[in-house]
Amino acid sequence: MSDKHGEEDKKAKMHLKANDLLCVNGCGFYGTPQWENRCSKCWRAHQNEMKKCQDFAKNRSLLSFDQFQERRKSTTESKSRGIKNLFKTSPIPEGGTSSPTSTSPASTPTRRRELSPDSLEARQQFTDFLVANLSTGMAQEIARSVKNAVNKISEMRMSSDDMSELVMSYYQYLGERIGGHSLFDSPDCKVKVEDVMDQVEKYISTFCYSIFFCANHEEEVADMSLQDRIRSLHWVTAGFLETKMVFKKQTVRDKIDEAISELIEINAKRSAFEKLDCLTKSCKAIFEALKESEASTSADEFLPTLIYVLFRGNPPLIQSNVKFISRFAIPARLMSGEAAYFFTNLSCALEFARNMNHESLQMEKSEFEAYTSGHLAPPLSVINSACNQAIYVLEGTIETITNVAKKAGSLAKNLTNMHGKSDDDLEKMLAVIKETVDFYPTDEYMNMKQSIFAEEKETADILVSLSRQSSESGRGTLTDTQPSTPQPDTSLESPLIAEIQAINLTSSGNQEHVEEA
Amino acid sequence: MLETNVDQKSFKFKIVLLGEGCVGKSSLVLRFVENKFSCKHLSTIQASFQNKTVNVEDCQADLHIWDTAGQEKYHALGPIYYRGSNGVLLVFDITDRKSFEKVKNWVLEIKTCLGNTAEILIVGNKIDLEEERQVTRQDAEAYAESEGALYMETSAQDNVGISDAFESLTAKMIEHSRTRSTEPPSTNRSIRLIDNDEAERSKKCCR
Repeated sequence: MSDKHGEEDKKAKMHLKANDLLCVNGCGFYGTPQWENRCSKCWRAHQNEMKKCQDFAKNRSLLSFDQFQERRKSTTESKSRGIKNLFKTSPIPEGGTSSPTSTSPASTPTRRRELSPDSLEARQQFTDFLVANLSTGMAQEIARSVKNAVNKISEMRMSSDDMSELVMSYYQYLGERIGGHSLFDSPDCKVKVEDVMDQVEKYISTFCYSIFFCANHEEEVADMSLQDRIRSLHWVTAGFLETKMVFKKQTVRDKIDEAISELIEINAKRSAFEKLDCLTKSCKAIFEALKESEASTSADEFLPTLIYVLFRGNPPLIQSNVKFISRFAIPARLMSGEAAYFFTNLSCALEFARNMNHESLQMEKSEFEAYTSGHLAPPLSVINSACNQAIYVLEGTIETITNVAKKAGSLAKNLTNMHGKSDDDLEKMLAVIKETVDFYPTDEYMNMKQSIFAEEKETADILVSLSRQSSESGRGTLTDTQPSTPQPDTSLESPLIAEIQAINLTSSGNQEHVEEA
Repeated sequence: MLETNVDQKSFKFKIVLLGEGCVGKSSLVLRFVENKFSCKHLSTIQASFQNKTVNVEDCQADLHIWDTAGQEKYHALGPIYYRGSNGVLLVFDITDRKSFEKVKNWVLEIKTCLGNTAEILIVGNKIDLEEERQVTRQDAEAYAESEGALYMETSAQDNVGISDAFESLTAKMIEHSRTRSTEPPSTNRSIRLIDNDEAERSKKCCR
């Protein structure tokens, strides 16, 4: 018994020493494993230390956030400073004394990183316009007010309609404030209040475009839905809109294509003014097409054609663009004027597209649905239909080839005539040369003439001697009488010989000259 | 305020032409603005939108004249055109009773949408075709009077009564503009964009 107990005691001592049970801090008390071998007192102290460390880390992160805010403030200040410097470097002298503030070199890269190219360009134009046309004080005031408004807009989070109301109120406020200034009453002023407001509108709409345009997901869905609808209604362009377009004419087709391009281009512009400008160009191309078709340019013809162009082009995000223009354009721009009229017609065309049904086209409902679903193909209209455009192009090509063939025949004929004329001209030229040479003989020609004359003379002498020999041998009695007669014969022969020689010289000279020619 | 209105000498008005197709709306505008009438002119001069400055009662008015598509299928688009207009000119063909009935529909619709904000002038066109007349002058005048509108008869072909029609409508619009001048309501929201500006200005003063 006592031995067994002694063995167990020995084992316990070997595995668990007394020190192992004590607190790790060596305070003398016993610790617990759940407290990391610390006594209750030391454990509490340990927990406090841990908490302090965590608090320190949190404070450090807060300090980092403060530094971030500091950086943002300095960026804003440098931007503001940059704008002011633009004015101070302007050629217009300031009334009061001012010291130019030096801009830090880091500010420019910072601004460029933040602003899009369009915004940079818009700001440059805005600044140039103000500096060139207004006094320094007024320019600075307007620039500051507009910049402040843009910053406010960027910070706000509200619906598009509320934002629209806000921007409209600002336009009105700024317009009245500028209009009340006596500067615009003086004849020296080169611009009007409307011109300044145009620049303000362009600046604001370009800078805040990402906020203003298609901010709502629902609007994008509506645009996609309308695009799908127009695509399914494409068959309407096959003559059901009853336009007076004469699509056989190439100029008419070109103008319609131009109108479609300008309508699609609207989405690529940022300011309301530029969007309306694209729309105006599109509508004017439509009027050109109507003129080429010799149709009336009244609204009875214009609206159907605009609807046709809308269906043919099916421009992207067209509803969002229309909403953008109506929300953020200067109100006066949409209430009167040519652009306003065109904009209203576009709104009408979109409304018509959204609500189109069988009654709109005065046809059977089943027929309308069959065309829309694609079960039925629309019939080709003989007179007026763009679906026949390929056929028209082919006809145009055939006509072109026919014209080319005719011109080729005409060319061949002209070539033949040219050859004939060429030969005649050659003959005439030779005759003229001969006449001229005879009238104005050259030295070479005279020498040649003399040599020919000498040769002819020798030939004549030879002939004379030959004739004498033949007469002597032929007739004995006549030989005696012959010597007395030669002398008068010579006098008679000399003019004959001269004449013969002259004729020979003329003909031989001509021949040689022709050979030379 | 009233004194300012009485002294006002320059106006800008938007006039919308409504009526069935082929009653002569475009010819009417073309005759008034360009003093031209022929099919050829209609196809060479843009007739949908026209500007004209007239002098009425010692005042100058810039008229923006909007033509509209008169086909039945586009009837529902009318409100988009005449919204915000100062005057509405309703045209019918005296040789076509149906076009006069359509004018009546337009009158009811415009009164519903615009109330009394727009002046209405009813025009009976094509009086050069008197022998084919289907709508008597008495009937048209009585209807216009009952609706508080003006009535005029014109001929675009013979250039009869057109200037009178537009000038009468302009005079009515001028009178209307003077009687009821609406002050632009000040919106509280605009303060949110301008407030900081005022604060900056005050800061500047403090500096």
